[in-house]
Amino acid sequence: MAEPQQTGSGPVKSGLKMMSRATYMREALLKNLFLLCAIVAVAAVALIFVFTTARGWEVVKDPGLVAFLTGAEWSSTLGRFGILPLVVGTLAITLGSLVLGAPLAIGTAVFLSEIASPRMRSIVRPAVEMLAGVPSVVYGFFGLVILRPIAAELTGGMGFGTLTASVILAVMIVPTIATLTEDALGSVPPGIREASYAMGATTWQTIYKVLLPAAKIGIIDATILGMGRAIGETMAVVMVAGNAPQFFKGLGAPIATLTSQIVIDMSYATGTHKTALFGLAIILFLISMGLVALVRALSRLNEKKA
Amino acid sequence: MATLVLALTLTGCSAGGERREVIVTGSTTLLPISEVSGEMYTESHDGISILVSGMGSSAGIESVTKGSSDIGTSSRELKDAELELGLEDTPVAYDAIAVIVHPDNPVRELSTFEVRSIFAGVITNWSEVGGPDLPIGLVNRDEASGTREAFSKIIMDDARFDRGAVVLPGTGQVRSVIADVEGAIGYISLGFVTDDVKAVAIDGVEPSEATVVSGDYPVQRVLHFFTKDDLSDIARDYIEYVLSPDVQDTIVRDAGFIPITAKEAIGG
Repeated sequence: MAEPQQTGSGPVKSGLKMMSRATYMREALLKNLFLLCAIVAVAAVALIFVFTTARGWEVVKDPGLVAFLTGAEWSSTLGRFGILPLVVGTLAITLGSLVLGAPLAIGTAVFLSEIASPRMRSIVRPAVEMLAGVPSVVYGFFGLVILRPIAAELTGGMGFGTLTASVILAVMIVPTIATLTEDALGSVPPGIREASYAMGATTWQTIYKVLLPAAKIGIIDATILGMGRAIGETMAVVMVAGNAPQFFKGLGAPIATLTSQIVIDMSYATGTHKTALFGLAIILFLISMGLVALVRALSRLNEKKA
Repeated sequence: MATLVLALTLTGCSAGGERREVIVTGSTTLLPISEVSGEMYTESHDGISILVSGMGSSAGIESVTKGSSDIGTSSRELKDAELELGLEDTPVAYDAIAVIVHPDNPVRELSTFEVRSIFAGVITNWSEVGGPDLPIGLVNRDEASGTREAFSKIIMDDARFDRGAVVLPGTGQVRSVIADVEGAIGYISLGFVTDDVKAVAIDGVEPSEATVVSGDYPVQRVLHFFTKDDLSDIARDYIEYVLSPDVQDTIVRDAGFIPITAKEAIGG
């Protein structure tokens, strides 16, 4: 880092502004302090990635990459570590939560941004934000005690499985998607909105034909980030999914996900089993990186268009 | 979790000095014995703490082997691979594994073969074993569970568990789900059976202390404390306390288990 060398104690010149030595020192200190904060965050991600990769990469040797990625059975007692049922489980639950949660969240955002009076907004917005603050074990407990019996009635099973987990996750991803969608709607230039109303369009026509298309990429971004949240959620899923590492057999059948299997197995895993669990962590990491990259690409697309 | 935090704090404090604690990790089945006896022992021995946590038998064996705990509790025998770890075995109690159903379920008795077929997913409706026309809801334990291991060994033989069974990571959770779902069936330690669930007779024998001691009830096992040979004096003294009649006749029996001395008494 090239710092201007100083001699004497008089005022120093930095850019166009004159500042005292004390001010200069403070500025430099703060700049470096914030740089340090950023480095810590980046280093944390890098460390976690290096650590999981170091512990997990040997899945390519045992059980072998193909057996690991395409194996149809996960059973530690039999020494089989195929992640396909877990991937399918994660996809099923995530898809279910998006189908239920995304419309709910986008509707909430449209309401907050376009329809609600300031008073109404001051009630609804904190309520939505509070959803993000509820600990996931509380969601899980709620799902276990309240939703599971209802799901059991509906599906004829025991209520553990895709349906219950999807409903819980749908509620959990609402704050993520709603907040970001509201931001996206808010950043649509007011002129577009006014032009639509000036043409005699109703509120609904304006929302449906003008605002949602204009904020489309922002809304897709929001949904992808919500998806990331659903894929990574663990505690609530373990409590209601039933944790059976089998392929999707219907909404009411028990199922396991990448994250839930790590939690169930980690206390006793050794050897290949432990390596395979770190392998699951690598897969989760890659999915998460993929989603972030997708969001970045979409944002760039949006900027180019604007 | 609180115990864990406590364990970390205490380990930090006593570093360098003489260790005044015993860390007991493992089977959730054994929790009532090790927790209550640990509390009693702490009360009568000033300045010593017994830190108990339940993470499954396999985790207990793993942790005592690695030296992160003094005593690994287990509700199953050692597997072949674990026999070479040089662990010392102290049996502390007998336990029966009860096959439990919802209290309203009219089925009172199942044969070993029927139980095996149910858990293998071959029998899927209660009407096939003399019950109502109701689908069977299978509840299994996670693969870390010593109860699952023991159940699998005694009942399942070579048959495999149905992969579609709900997997729950704790005895208490199995019980609460079975108490709640009419068609459900699961298995838990006899010590945990309450009025919320009903234990069925296996091959005509009800699970009880008498039938376990006589050997008639088939699904029974021994509960173990596993230790390494460099055991601290405090831990050794605590184990002796657990084996004393004080604990065996009160805590062990109150928890629904059968004292390790019971079979010797009748020469079994």
